[in-house]
Amino acid sequence: MESNPQQPAAPLPNPARQATWFGFRVGRFGFLVPEVLFGEVIEQAQVNPLPNTQAWFHGLCNLRGHLVPVFDPHRLLGEEVADPRKRRLFAIGRGERAVALWIDGLPELRDAAPQPPTADLPLPEHLRPHAAGVHREGERLWLVPDYGAWFKALGRSLAST
Amino acid sequence: MAIPVSHPALESAAELAACLESLADEAGAQDLQGLQDATWMLAEALHEAPEREPDPEALSLLRGWPELAAAYRRGMAAILPAMRQVLRHPALGLPLSEEEFDWLEARLAEGVPAVERAEEPAAHLDETPAFALDEAPAPSAEDLPSQASGLDVAPVPAQKALQGLPRQAQELIDLLLMQAGAVAAVLDNAESDPEAARDEFERFGNAARTVGLEGLAEAAAQVAANLHAGAGPELRALVAEWLAEAQVYLTAFTEPEAGAGLVARLADPRWPLVLAAEAAAAILARMRGPDTQWWQEAGPVRAATASAEEVSLALPADVNPKLLGILLRELPVHTRQLAAIAQRLQTGGSPEDIDTAQRIAHTLKGSANTVGVRGVAALTHQLEDILLACAKAGQVPGRALRELLLDAADCLEGMAEALLGQGPAPADALAVLQRILDFANRIDREGLPEPDAELDAVASALEAGAAPIAVPAAEPAPAVEESAAALVQIPVEQVEDLLRLSGESLIFNGQAQERLRRVKAQLQAMQAQFEQLRLLGQELEELVDLRDWSGRAYGRVRADFDALELDQYNELHTASRRMVEAAVDAREMGLDVVAELARMDEALDYQQRLVVDVQEAVMRARLVPVSTLLPRLRRGLRQTLRLTGKKAELDFEGGDLAIDGEVLGAIAEPLMHLLRNAVDHGLEAPEERARRGKPELGRIAVAFDREGNHALVRCRDDGRGLDYAAIRAAAEARGWLPPGQPASEQELARMILRPNFSTRAVSTHISGRGVGMDAVQAQVAALGGTLALRSVVGVGLTVELRVPLPLSRSHALLVRVGSQRVAVASRGLDQIFYSGVGQLHGPEDALEWRLDGVPYPAVRLGNLLRFPGSRPVPDPPGAILLVRTADSATAVLADAVFDSRELVVKDLGPYLPKLRGLMGATVLGDGTVTAVVDLPELLRAPGQPVAVAADWAEAAAIPEVPDVLVVDDSLSQRRALEQLLADAGFRVKSARDGMEAAEILAKEWPLLVLTDLEMPRMNGIELTAHIRAQPEGKSLPILMVTSRTTQRHRQLAEDAGVDAYFTKPVRDDDLLDKLHGVLAGAIAGPVRRGAG
Repeated sequence: MESNPQQPAAPLPNPARQATWFGFRVGRFGFLVPEVLFGEVIEQAQVNPLPNTQAWFHGLCNLRGHLVPVFDPHRLLGEEVADPRKRRLFAIGRGERAVALWIDGLPELRDAAPQPPTADLPLPEHLRPHAAGVHREGERLWLVPDYGAWFKALGRSLAST
Repeated sequence: MAIPVSHPALESAAELAACLESLADEAGAQDLQGLQDATWMLAEALHEAPEREPDPEALSLLRGWPELAAAYRRGMAAILPAMRQVLRHPALGLPLSEEEFDWLEARLAEGVPAVERAEEPAAHLDETPAFALDEAPAPSAEDLPSQASGLDVAPVPAQKALQGLPRQAQELIDLLLMQAGAVAAVLDNAESDPEAARDEFERFGNAARTVGLEGLAEAAAQVAANLHAGAGPELRALVAEWLAEAQVYLTAFTEPEAGAGLVARLADPRWPLVLAAEAAAAILARMRGPDTQWWQEAGPVRAATASAEEVSLALPADVNPKLLGILLRELPVHTRQLAAIAQRLQTGGSPEDIDTAQRIAHTLKGSANTVGVRGVAALTHQLEDILLACAKAGQVPGRALRELLLDAADCLEGMAEALLGQGPAPADALAVLQRILDFANRIDREGLPEPDAELDAVASALEAGAAPIAVPAAEPAPAVEESAAALVQIPVEQVEDLLRLSGESLIFNGQAQERLRRVKAQLQAMQAQFEQLRLLGQELEELVDLRDWSGRAYGRVRADFDALELDQYNELHTASRRMVEAAVDAREMGLDVVAELARMDEALDYQQRLVVDVQEAVMRARLVPVSTLLPRLRRGLRQTLRLTGKKAELDFEGGDLAIDGEVLGAIAEPLMHLLRNAVDHGLEAPEERARRGKPELGRIAVAFDREGNHALVRCRDDGRGLDYAAIRAAAEARGWLPPGQPASEQELARMILRPNFSTRAVSTHISGRGVGMDAVQAQVAALGGTLALRSVVGVGLTVELRVPLPLSRSHALLVRVGSQRVAVASRGLDQIFYSGVGQLHGPEDALEWRLDGVPYPAVRLGNLLRFPGSRPVPDPPGAILLVRTADSATAVLADAVFDSRELVVKDLGPYLPKLRGLMGATVLGDGTVTAVVDLPELLRAPGQPVAVAADWAEAAAIPEVPDVLVVDDSLSQRRALEQLLADAGFRVKSARDGMEAAEILAKEWPLLVLTDLEMPRMNGIELTAHIRAQPEGKSLPILMVTSRTTQRHRQLAEDAGVDAYFTKPVRDDDLLDKLHGVLAGAIAGPVRRGAG
């Protein structure tokens, strides 16, 4: 799946007030990606681990010559994979600024109006500072992180291992 | 009727309409929608009656519109009434209702750019609009009050008396006229701020005295005294009238009766202080004999003859590649614009075109001077002067000048193309420069010729012998220009894409080779099978032959039957023979395929070599020789030595090494900081060195090297080394170290990398402000690098920076670790041994490997590289890698080494910082990504060296308050100043003009402002006035660097409150000396006239 191929992917903008979003699920959490970002489901990707890294970092995959880091948000959020057979690798961003996440199922187009997050949101510590917005739909929280900042913070924490 | 200054060049309605349309477009481009709408309306009014003879009054009104628009764009709200009157004038008959007029005028009023310039017209004096459309008699000496309308935005046109004066003199008069406008502007507020009005008047008087008009200065002093003595609307009206008279005087002070009206006005009994008759006579005498002698001496003398050096496009040997890059980007854009304006001027043009052309020439001159391209600088310098003269006279060039401008623009375009390597240097450059010089010299001598007289002027100049110098048609370009021909501007992203694509090609080549290897292996097996088949066939054939032979031996054989007859052979014979032949054929075909595959193998090898060559060529495009940093380092060292009074010389090693240009640029700043620290903190004073038995001349060595995928930079000095006692004291004082707690030298050394650490009690601008080594460390960490310190007390300090290169090639072994493959870079690998060599002893956590009786500490690679789910390494290992580290060798036990090859090593991208022990990653031939391991780094225990990994939190915590705000509209000038100041240890922020600077100042105040004079939107004088008007800005040091050399500009700068005025070219050392002096509070008074 690709969206807005004309839009530059780098750097990942801080998403704010987007009308249409790509939504994807990670366990009980939902995530929204601004439509302006490039999104791509990577089929048949081989993820190659890097030594001395943490379990939530799966390694790198080769996406048309670019080395794309692969994170496992399930481990980061302490969530179970709903159905391992339906797990997909979803790349956010393009070129060297792409980052891939393991997600449950396929991403979908969603309409949402995220609000600024409140202090009592049940979020893990590593994600809380980067939550730029949240959209509630029933019991499910749809989060809008500042993806660029979040991924960089995750990278920094890898370096400190 | 006082019509705005009209453009005689816009003779026809069609020309005027085209001019208005162009004006409307420009207004649209500047988002001045009100102006755009109004101008379109006027243009349409002309278009709507093409058949009709245009109303002369309407044409006259419209010819003045560009002037009004120019004033509007400069933010002069005072011209709105005049614009309103034009729009509503019955002669134009704009088809608008009253409501629509109101709407249009409201849009105009809303859209006035928020810039109040110093030359704001005197329209504030009273309610009379600057451009009154009502009929009024032409100004005359007898009708002085009517001259108040002369205080408008346009330059006073009647300057015939000045035409014989040198250009500098005319500039000075223009300055005074401008200052008169400034006085008029503040008079409007004289009731609320009488002091400002008096101050402005005093400045006007000072300016008059400065230019030698003593009489005017004294008369102005009389007016200023009156302003002290009284107030009220009547006095303001008197002052306004006097200013109007002063303007008349300034345009005709060489006339016999000049100044009479001006002095007579001061005798008016309505003044609070009436000028006595004797004093009036004395002033009048001075008014008629102004001391203008020095005008002839002021300013640089213009050369009469152009020289070949002045049109040279040769680049200086130490050209700054970054600044050159900027110039090469700016140059084609500006020369194209200049050529377009020159072209437009051929068919009319407008004063705005002249202004724009002058600004372009000014910018190009500055940029070319900064980079050192003399040809462009000389041409634009002279061109700017000519255009300036035209702009001042409000005169559109005549035919001769228009042609000259076109030739100059063409020549500059040619020069730009030559510098970009797109063509030869223009052959007529010298001739064009000579013609421009002739014209400029003529303006200096005789003033700007009337458009009609220009041709005669040029013709007479030619006759007088100032003919253009004959130039050989095809002057060979200097060697440096040839080298410039190789320059091509390619965005970095494009180079990276090329590199990535070549990498992908290499991967697919690898995959093809891999498949080929498999095919060859399969073919080999097939060949063996064919051979087997052939042997079986042969066997079968023999068996068949034997049976037949036996049959013949034991059966009945007819005596008359020949053994060679066919019916002696049955089908079995035939089949067996055919099978043997088929087996032989298959083998032959197999051999053909083998030969074909061998050729294919060769082709793939050749393609691989080509792709590698392509990759290396693309990589080279990113590489810059390290030696390009040397001039910058030398300059920084020289400046620091001068400031500290120390003596040292710089050794530079590894200058031939070429590393990634971006990395080199990023290393430059921390390296400059290390250099300054080495001088300021490291080297002892000469006396102390003598006491210690060291040579008087200190040594600082900067060495570049490449270590695997890293650039290694060492900065070593032979100074005192780290003063651990002082560091401990400072750390204890800050509470970082409890008093008395033991701390190793390494731990103490790390303290200097903490934010805001300094052992200095008093900060200086060289170093010791507590933002030194932590900033260096943060910059290096941001690059994913490390910083290590090695200090020996009394001997010196070595600071080592290791910065990863974004992409490189490295030889590596492909090694198996459990189920994973990794590439082990061959850096540090001493020897490789295979299973069975040496003996492994000891427990798992203290393994030892012995070879020929020599013990080596041993470690399993699987334990160094923790992969998820990795399995234990078999014992004994498949391979032993002997790795040499700084002072020992370690045996690393790997499962197996299965290949060795050259790899392209990539960094881990923007989200993953440098990971310890990893050089980066590579994509193997089968497309899989593999970590490239740096074993020596991996073996180094964490924290063992004084190496500091990235600490982003600390880096982010560094305060960003700038030391110096650089304000300049020229990108190259800005970059040059930024670099100079950054190299001198200042934090620099920059702005493109006064408006942008004011926006920055609204948020934070720097320690000093360094500004250009001429800039769009808000110039340096206005910026200075803006700063001085605010409480925080009263004492803020302001330095001005400009190409304006006249005393009037210095005076303007001084009046506005500039602390030091430099004229370009300014020596870096002079600028920095003054800057340090100003910051140290050494400056005692305002402008130092001789500075710069």
